[in-house]
Amino acid sequence: MKNDRLVVSKVLVLDDVAAHFEHLKAFCEECGLVGIRPQQRDAASVMAILRSNVDLGGIMLYERFGGTAGQGLALAREIHAARPELPIFLRRDAVASMAGLDEKTAAMFRCAYTLADLQQLRSSLEVSIFSRVYPNELVRGISDFTRASLETLFPLCDIDTETPYLVKDRLIYGEVFTLIAIDSDWCRGYMMFQASEEAVLELLRRAGGPEGEHWTFRELNNVLGELTNLAWGSFKNRYVGHDNRGERGQTQVPIIINHQRGFISFGSDDPQLCLKYLLRERHRPEAAAVPIFQRFVFNLNWSPDEFRENPSVESLVDAGELELF
Amino acid sequence: MAQILVVDDSSTVRNEVADFLKSQGLAVATAVDGKDGLDKLKADASIKLVVSDVNMPNMDGLTMAEKIRSEQKNTAVSIIMLTTENSPAMKERGKAAGIKGWIVKPFNGPGVIATLKKLAS
Repeated sequence: MKNDRLVVSKVLVLDDVAAHFEHLKAFCEECGLVGIRPQQRDAASVMAILRSNVDLGGIMLYERFGGTAGQGLALAREIHAARPELPIFLRRDAVASMAGLDEKTAAMFRCAYTLADLQQLRSSLEVSIFSRVYPNELVRGISDFTRASLETLFPLCDIDTETPYLVKDRLIYGEVFTLIAIDSDWCRGYMMFQASEEAVLELLRRAGGPEGEHWTFRELNNVLGELTNLAWGSFKNRYVGHDNRGERGQTQVPIIINHQRGFISFGSDDPQLCLKYLLRERHRPEAAAVPIFQRFVFNLNWSPDEFRENPSVESLVDAGELELF
Repeated sequence: MAQILVVDDSSTVRNEVADFLKSQGLAVATAVDGKDGLDKLKADASIKLVVSDVNMPNMDGLTMAEKIRSEQKNTAVSIIMLTTENSPAMKERGKAAGIKGWIVKPFNGPGVIATLKKLAS
């Protein structure tokens, strides 16, 4: 299905038949899925996982998850009510269909499959999660220049990058996020950074020395703003053609933010490209890594066939050098 | 009296550049956008060099550069852009406004300080 793709997707696997783990694990690896399994099987534990993982691509659910018939379906209802944007793939014992489910229940699932016949699941994953192909060169480039930007702004940290992945989630991580428009001949949409205010602010305070002790969220805003600016500039310089004349139709759609639920919608169900960077302080190796999430939402135009790196990028002066006129 | 005016809406960059230039013994003033930059330049005749971002609220750096030449009739001050922008079209617009140079962010102080000093003198 993928294998040569750089981008994976995280799925919550709610399937508690131990004999099937290896089978499902192999299937996930083959399809570019990273499976997350709950420690506890009760609904409260599952919902807690959903609350703490804001970057899921979907859910693989066994109809008898929890032990008895109907428990899996009851959990599906709870999940679907809380996170309708997440596709749920239902594993059934007998038939790879919605047979025996009422219409409302069946509508919650993207597909039904059995272990004996995973083709339906495979096809559904392609349509539901891997419906967008992000060119490897693009993903690699984004990861490289963003990492370089983070190294500039957090010089006392090592920066690790997790494998890029696709998300269907619309939840916002942390308390602060930035948003900037991306507009080119081949893609239009937005780039976001999301972070936990206190965790990043603590990094900045420690790096700032005595002066940094009094820094507030405003300093954090400035740094995340500059991170966004640097990454945006790099994206434009690499991937937005210099002959881009902005003559495309200036369509827009409303962006909806629900602060209470930490939810943001760009009006598109397409999977978003997500990169997670982990900042680790060199002099405090025991401290937990601080995550910063970067998301790309190309909701207004996505034409990857026309993707190209700027031909002139090689001849551009290096960042930081002065080009005299 | 300042020798160099640093114009950037990001306080992170503004402070970084200003602190670095000060550490090199230069007198530095700062402005938060192009409009503020025009006002500061008008009020301080000792400024010999402007280091400015391009993308800023209220007034962008290129418009500020154009106004320095056209409205303030100031041809004595040297202007350098410090920006994430790297498009030939923008540079051409900058050249037409009489700017002297272009630095792509992130700022690399030691690499450009010698040239800045030369321009400032």
